[in-house]
Amino acid sequence: MNCEELRDQYELYALDALNAEERAELDAHLRREGDPCVAGVRKARALMMSLALITPESHPPARLRKRVVGMVGEPKRPWSWTPVWIAAAACLTVVAVWLGMARRDQARALADLRLEAQRKTVELARLNEAFAIMNDPGARQLVFGEGAPKPRGRVFVNPQQGVLLLASNLTPAPSGKIYEMWIIPKSGSPAPAGLFQSESDGTAMYLRKGAVDVATTGAIAVTLEPEAGSQAPTTQPLIVATL
Amino acid sequence: MTLLPLLFAIYVEGDDGDLGARLKRREPAAMGELYDRYGKLAYSLIYRIVRDVGVAEDLVQETFLRVWNRAQGFDAERGALGPWLLAVARNRAIDYVRSASGKMAKGALELEYAERPALFINFEADVLSQDQARRVRAALEKLNENQRHVIELAYFEGLSQSEMAERMGQPLGTVKTWVRTALKNLREDLGEKAARA
Repeated sequence: MNCEELRDQYELYALDALNAEERAELDAHLRREGDPCVAGVRKARALMMSLALITPESHPPARLRKRVVGMVGEPKRPWSWTPVWIAAAACLTVVAVWLGMARRDQARALADLRLEAQRKTVELARLNEAFAIMNDPGARQLVFGEGAPKPRGRVFVNPQQGVLLLASNLTPAPSGKIYEMWIIPKSGSPAPAGLFQSESDGTAMYLRKGAVDVATTGAIAVTLEPEAGSQAPTTQPLIVATL
Repeated sequence: MTLLPLLFAIYVEGDDGDLGARLKRREPAAMGELYDRYGKLAYSLIYRIVRDVGVAEDLVQETFLRVWNRAQGFDAERGALGPWLLAVARNRAIDYVRSASGKMAKGALELEYAERPALFINFEADVLSQDQARRVRAALEKLNENQRHVIELAYFEGLSQSEMAERMGQPLGTVKTWVRTALKNLREDLGEKAARA
């Protein structure tokens, strides 16, 4: 048969729907280079493949894709790593927050230590100043309240450095009140010499720095005053140390 | 018969050349993309032929593995990946049906030959497109019932004209007339769009 006579068999050949004899005859043509049947069968194959488009729709199970791609080890889809990254980011965030909190705690503790150190430094400085006044040969030591339940202690008057008060049995001033020291001249009005508060155990150390004219000073006194202080005593003195 | 939904066309549009090149390079991710593009159509075709879900799954797997293993012979520039894969799918299913019915002698070797990727070159890019699906449906609707039936027997069951005559209880000459007329009409309606000369 020639190519024209075989033309009606091209599509059946493409579908492998020829019997053995028919196929053998067309195969003989296809083995010849340039035979018109070659191009004809190729066109017929494309035509028949388009019949796949009339296939009724069926739904393959989801597991089938896994089976197919699993044969060649398709890498996991990028989104499958997303939860891992999210978890890692969450962990890092928690760690960062924890480190931040720990850092804040450490900073707070360090600030407390610095404050305490400053307080100690100030206290040490005051003690040094107090010792300097007490140890100065020119200072005069006055005793007050001896043998009485009222406040008692000592006052050191140093003409160059100032007045130092050491007291005990001096209950802390109540709310809204404060203790005020007075330098009382032998003649004239008392001069205010500063405000202070006693400790919870009733002790007090107060240093009023500045030169004092011992010759004209008659006494050192302490009164309870409003917490803003007063320019003149408003209450009876709790402490009086006479020079 | 429920005709192919337009949804299929979505899966068969895309750059098959690039995908074919990646299959040749044996990139595993390309297999997943190939399945996403043609898996549903291949499964539907195979299931239409074998009518068994489990068998259809096995044959789909075999189809994709064959394409994967033979991709080295695929011409990424001129080859038609979709038609080739569907030819493999159809042949696997037809081969299974023939084997199950004791007709292995008919054409296992011929089917192997028909799966060579070199046969699927110079196809029109839209041979499996949405527009082509519409044209195929329109062309089939023009055929009478007997003509459409013999085409389906040939495509979905791989029957020869003698086997069709036996199946339909019709004279061979009558069946040949139906086949010839049906193919002539399809050729006239669709042939010029199917492949470049």
